[in-house]
Amino acid sequence: MEAITSMEQLQRYRDRLQARQKRDLAAVLVCCGTGCLAKGALKVADAFKAEFESKRIKANIDIGLKTTGCHGYCANGPLVVLRPKDILYHKVQPEDVPEIVERSLKGSEVIERLIYQDPDTKESIADFHQIPFYKYQVRIALRNIGIIDPTEIDDYILQGGYHTLAKALRMNPDAIIAEIEASGLRGRGGGGFPTATKWKSAKAIQSDVRYVICNGDEGDPGAFMDGATMQGDPHAIIEGMIIGAYAIGSNQGYIYVRDEYPLAVKNLAIAVKAVREKGFLGKDILGSGFAFDIKISRGGGAFVCGESSALMRSVEGKVGEPRAKYIRSVEKGLYDKPTVLNNVETWANVPIIIEKGGAWYASYGTKGSKGTKVFSLVGKVNNTGLVEVPMGISIRKLIEEIGGGVLSGKRFKAVQTGGPSGGCIPERLSDLPIDFDSLTDVGSMMGSGGIIVMDEETCMVDVAKYFIGFLVGESCGKCTPCRDGLRRMLDVLIDITEGRGKETDVAVLEELCDVLTWGALCGLGTSAANPVLSTIKYFREEYDAHIKDKQCPAGVCKALITYSIDAEACTGCTLCAKKCPQKCITGERKKAHVIDTEQCIKCGVCKDVCNFNAVRVA
Amino acid sequence: MIEVKKVDAIINRYEKSEESLLAILQDFQREFHYVPEEGMQRLSEVMNVSESKIYAMGTFYKTLSLTPRGKHTIKVCTGTACHLKGANQILETLERGLKIRRNSTTKNLNFTLECVNCLGTCAMAPVVVVNEDYYGSVRPSKIMDVLKKYK
Amino acid sequence: MEKLKVIIDGRECEAIKDQCVLDVARENGIPIPALCYNPEVKTSGGSCRVCLVEAHQGGWMRLVTSCNYPVRKGLEIKTNTDLVHKIRRGVLELLRARVPDSDVIKKLALEEGITEPRFKKDEGEDNRYKCIACALCAQVCEEVVGVSAISMQNRGADKQPGTPYHKPSNVCIGCGACVYVCPTNAISMKETGDIRRIWSRDFKMAKCSMCSKPYIPEAQIDWIVKTTGKARAFFDKCPDHR
Repeated sequence: MEAITSMEQLQRYRDRLQARQKRDLAAVLVCCGTGCLAKGALKVADAFKAEFESKRIKANIDIGLKTTGCHGYCANGPLVVLRPKDILYHKVQPEDVPEIVERSLKGSEVIERLIYQDPDTKESIADFHQIPFYKYQVRIALRNIGIIDPTEIDDYILQGGYHTLAKALRMNPDAIIAEIEASGLRGRGGGGFPTATKWKSAKAIQSDVRYVICNGDEGDPGAFMDGATMQGDPHAIIEGMIIGAYAIGSNQGYIYVRDEYPLAVKNLAIAVKAVREKGFLGKDILGSGFAFDIKISRGGGAFVCGESSALMRSVEGKVGEPRAKYIRSVEKGLYDKPTVLNNVETWANVPIIIEKGGAWYASYGTKGSKGTKVFSLVGKVNNTGLVEVPMGISIRKLIEEIGGGVLSGKRFKAVQTGGPSGGCIPERLSDLPIDFDSLTDVGSMMGSGGIIVMDEETCMVDVAKYFIGFLVGESCGKCTPCRDGLRRMLDVLIDITEGRGKETDVAVLEELCDVLTWGALCGLGTSAANPVLSTIKYFREEYDAHIKDKQCPAGVCKALITYSIDAEACTGCTLCAKKCPQKCITGERKKAHVIDTEQCIKCGVCKDVCNFNAVRVA
Repeated sequence: MIEVKKVDAIINRYEKSEESLLAILQDFQREFHYVPEEGMQRLSEVMNVSESKIYAMGTFYKTLSLTPRGKHTIKVCTGTACHLKGANQILETLERGLKIRRNSTTKNLNFTLECVNCLGTCAMAPVVVVNEDYYGSVRPSKIMDVLKKYK
Repeated sequence: MEKLKVIIDGRECEAIKDQCVLDVARENGIPIPALCYNPEVKTSGGSCRVCLVEAHQGGWMRLVTSCNYPVRKGLEIKTNTDLVHKIRRGVLELLRARVPDSDVIKKLALEEGITEPRFKKDEGEDNRYKCIACALCAQVCEEVVGVSAISMQNRGADKQPGTPYHKPSNVCIGCGACVYVCPTNAISMKETGDIRRIWSRDFKMAKCSMCSKPYIPEAQIDWIVKTTGKARAFFDKCPDHR
């Protein structure tokens, strides 16, 4: 495979690829994002392959057949999209495949049972762009995911990939930075720092060596935007980095990807290799004289390595501890050289901003937060998955119109945004716009985009305990407030949730929060107070119930709840008694059963197996 | 006994730079189910990095283990979405069923039970991964049955 | 060396650019407590957070660790405000509960009005329970001595210094620099006759030809001779009799 050494050659290559494809080629795109994979997407893809063979359909010649990255509509996977009409089939099983091939690919019928049906109006919608989940989205960072096979560089080139790189290499580097500045792009990893400002600062430092790094250490539990991007469109990141490196004068880049994303690691490695073979990485890229290459660095299971100075130590082959000294990474970052570190989503936006212009990007979003943001909408919501919307959308609209509302019709209680650095926002504030600044004003932050929906069965004290527990395990241990303060907070929260809460506990928590916020060495510590302070602020009554009344209103904290069987609802099927690990449920067949609360360990198995909803937790 | 040949083969896959240290340790972990002392010593010699620094990395990064892990690794996702959907109950059911605490290995070295922070499959919460097999919407009453096929 | 002036507690102090606030303050008779900083160890500081002070610059204020915050033009420092004391008190209370038997921590805590911490005291036998995980020992071993026999192990509350597997290290030279710099005397070094025991290893000590006192491990002499070319005979006499 010969390298492509000029923009004209790239254009000819792309033209040849386009010519090889039939116009309006019918195609099957099988979503192989992690969620769909876990639901058996590969078996569905294999079923299509087998069906094509048996029906003598030549894959990608007669009818296209691709596996793609995450479509975002994870709750309804495995997902299959049929081109050119963009028909979305939900929950596809291998058994459905012969029918799909016969009726929808060879024929042009839509299979009713597999498409979206509005839960209220019962209207069926085949074209996924019209489905509420997708209708309100503006997919910029996610533009290629679900359309291309991420392991095929030609797919990316067909979408216009690397054409922007060719264009950029003919621009003045300062002009590139000017477009990024005009776009208003702010760091998408949570910090929200103006990207152009960061690039300018690094460029201004006199140095023979500069580095660009992609932070793919997405550690916020509940967030998988970056994972889906690294896995589903690695080239967007790579192209963005090459453009950025050219703009600031860097010849070496790193992509740091967490080890818990094996598919992302794999697809990034395949992509980098392919990009090198095509000549877009290496010396004299596209005949411009610019040289740049990328190394992939794997994380080792440390949330703190998402912090930029800790990440850089980890890349250098050291323990991932943040730097105590007050030095900016743009001045002295990796190996003490000027370094631009940006998040996956930030890099993925760069090519399209240069292609369509900063003003175009800035036409989306709000005054202070331009553009769009990818969110992972998870928790007690119907349509869990990945969405990309213009900044400024309200929390309520995101959850109700795109998210399809709270699961099982329960009451929407709160959202947690921003991961362990963010806070809980109560339902009554959910008309707030989601952008960099509005949520910070109320004690949370938008963060990297994790949005966790909580219902009436979520205990907010338990949520605070969960996040502090998480951080205790992830603290690097270097500074006193985080290493020792967090675990003391956890002790207090455990006491509260186990019925040993004291009147002074909330005050102690607030004091420790101050020590962390003012005294901790890095962002992990300085933002750790948010989940605690926001739940105290908005759900103080729950803390009081646990401490004063020794009750858990949401029915979660084991020490404060009792499992019992509603005699009226119980049919005496004996299933719970059989499954109970403590053997503490007694009763005769067809007669109401009883739980011995002394022996009960509240494991939840009885509630889980009961088909009659007869187990009560209070 | 850890074969020096295997250790060297792994080290030679990578550039001789400190940047490769973590990746090499990860590969040791995959190959031997833990990071052996001999591996770290050899790495220290070849890379000219002090053993104490490599050992520190072994204790800092949670994907690495200095003691042998089980043949099968059970990872219970304890990310926020999974937590809200009952990950703790799954974890406790497994602890009871396997008779081990989290982050430990059964006596017969068959299973290691671990917690992991968010696999990115939040739509199927709660999620459990055994080796490379993902199980979604896991229920406490069913999880021990899932393990039966892993001998 | 660029000189500049920085205001500390209302007083104008002379400083050299990039000097740390703590050094400038101390040079000017303004005391700031600190545990993990040692001016001889460039990589030290920033860990214990005891030396936090208010830094006012360009319209904003934040707390910074004075041991590694560089002085710049226009910087004003306040070491004695309510906020400084509140956070310092919080930090010291946490340290009191972590290392309950340390006299130096007890004294600093008392200065902030803390006698007993509200938290359950950590209890245990090994050096983790005397240690504030400031890493000075590991830093001096790497930076000044140059052998890196010990490193900081683990993450979080159990972070502690040690040799790999806590086994005797064959690169340790028994010099005791780690013991010397440790702010809380957490590292044990025992001498019996001409044997010094440190980090689970016994070191034979060389004796002074004048006073017969065993004063330096043979391994340390080996290391110095190897790395500096100094004549071995130099170590025949102890410092008092050279």
